[in-house]
Amino acid sequence: LMGARLAGSHADTQEPNTNPLVSISDEPETLYKRLSLLVKGHDKAVLDSYEYFAVLAAKELGISVEKVHKPPKTIERLTLLKSVHIYKKHRVQYEMRTHYICLELKYLTGSTAAVYLEYVQRNLPEGVAMEVKKTKIEKIPEHIQEPVWDTLPPVEEAEVKS
Amino acid sequence: HVPPRAERMTVDQDWTSVYPTAAAFKPASVPLPIRMGYPVKRGVPPPKEGNLELIKIPNFLHLTPPAIKKHCAALKDFCTEWPNALDSDEKCEQHFPIEIETVDYVSSGTSIRNPQARVVTLRVKLSNLNLDEHAKKKLIKLVGERYCKDTDMLTITTDRCPLRRQNYDYGIHLLTVLYHESWKTEMWESEKTEEDMEEYIWENSCSQKNALDTLLRIKASENVSNVTKEELLASEVVKNYRNSVIALKNEGETENNVSQYKESVKKLLNIQAL
Repeated sequence: LMGARLAGSHADTQEPNTNPLVSISDEPETLYKRLSLLVKGHDKAVLDSYEYFAVLAAKELGISVEKVHKPPKTIERLTLLKSVHIYKKHRVQYEMRTHYICLELKYLTGSTAAVYLEYVQRNLPEGVAMEVKKTKIEKIPEHIQEPVWDTLPPVEEAEVKS
Repeated sequence: HVPPRAERMTVDQDWTSVYPTAAAFKPASVPLPIRMGYPVKRGVPPPKEGNLELIKIPNFLHLTPPAIKKHCAALKDFCTEWPNALDSDEKCEQHFPIEIETVDYVSSGTSIRNPQARVVTLRVKLSNLNLDEHAKKKLIKLVGERYCKDTDMLTITTDRCPLRRQNYDYGIHLLTVLYHESWKTEMWESEKTEEDMEEYIWENSCSQKNALDTLLRIKASENVSNVTKEELLASEVVKNYRNSVIALKNEGETENNVSQYKESVKKLLNIQAL
């Protein structure tokens, strides 16, 4: 975690890179408009501690946290027969409670998102699951700026590209 | 027997070296008097020595605030800054109109793969694409349910390829195909009837014909000199009537629209008595 090597990151352009692990690449950064982390677990106390950790990590890394909200828990219940054979009137009931915490982060670059997600996912406690919804923003690709037959040189039988 | 390490710990020690990584709870290494568990009758929860409950639950002793700050200070070199020029949603929309949503799933189990991770959703506002009137209408017809009129958003969700990159490429390919197809005009498009129109156009409709007919007959019965159709069309009353009919058909029947229609009909047929 501490020595993780990540390509495509920038450091101060004024001073030379003092960190030998940081490498800068030429490709443009991907931009994430919003990163939505949904953390699911069975124990509310564990999720609360994890939320504190994730929010503090985001603040330290300079990521703006839009909001942290807790969707209501879902309880899945099963009713099974208590005995192996007959005794239909005696059942046993189990339930599985899933608590959720949703963290919404705004305006991350590709490298920052990779760093934050790796840090936060390596420290996911046992028995807790996470879903990350990333919203990437992009420019319109060049081939959709104008229809292709406008850009082709004027030919008599213009091949219409589909 | 040697006393536990916890009794020899100082208050200002470096906790990050005691618990550098995630580890089970060791009662001899944690100098806190924690009790956990269900209390016996008229008693207190059991102490930390030999307490299975404390070992079972995941602990965050390796992620205390100073430890988090140390980690983040080391990780800060690898982060890049968000460009300052894009500080609001509208600017993002203006410079980067396409939004691509992907979902990653992290869970513990026998397999780390999740088949839902290959779904890719593409969202574009049609006002940002280079389309003219006919192309926009044709695109909306082609796309059907995937277009939302209120927000002017086209949403394409692709799921048919096994990998996420393939689904993304397929989504872009669909967008390209839709764009080019909507710019083409097929021969059979000239047979578009009134039922196919998206919005009501008053010119060349039965409403216009009826109104002009009625007005011509009124003028003929009053023996006024022959007024031409163009003059009738350009007159105020007919324009009012046209606007109210268009509003009724396009926006539905609201109080305002119906009362406007009533006023315009009264003016058209000159019956102010009602």
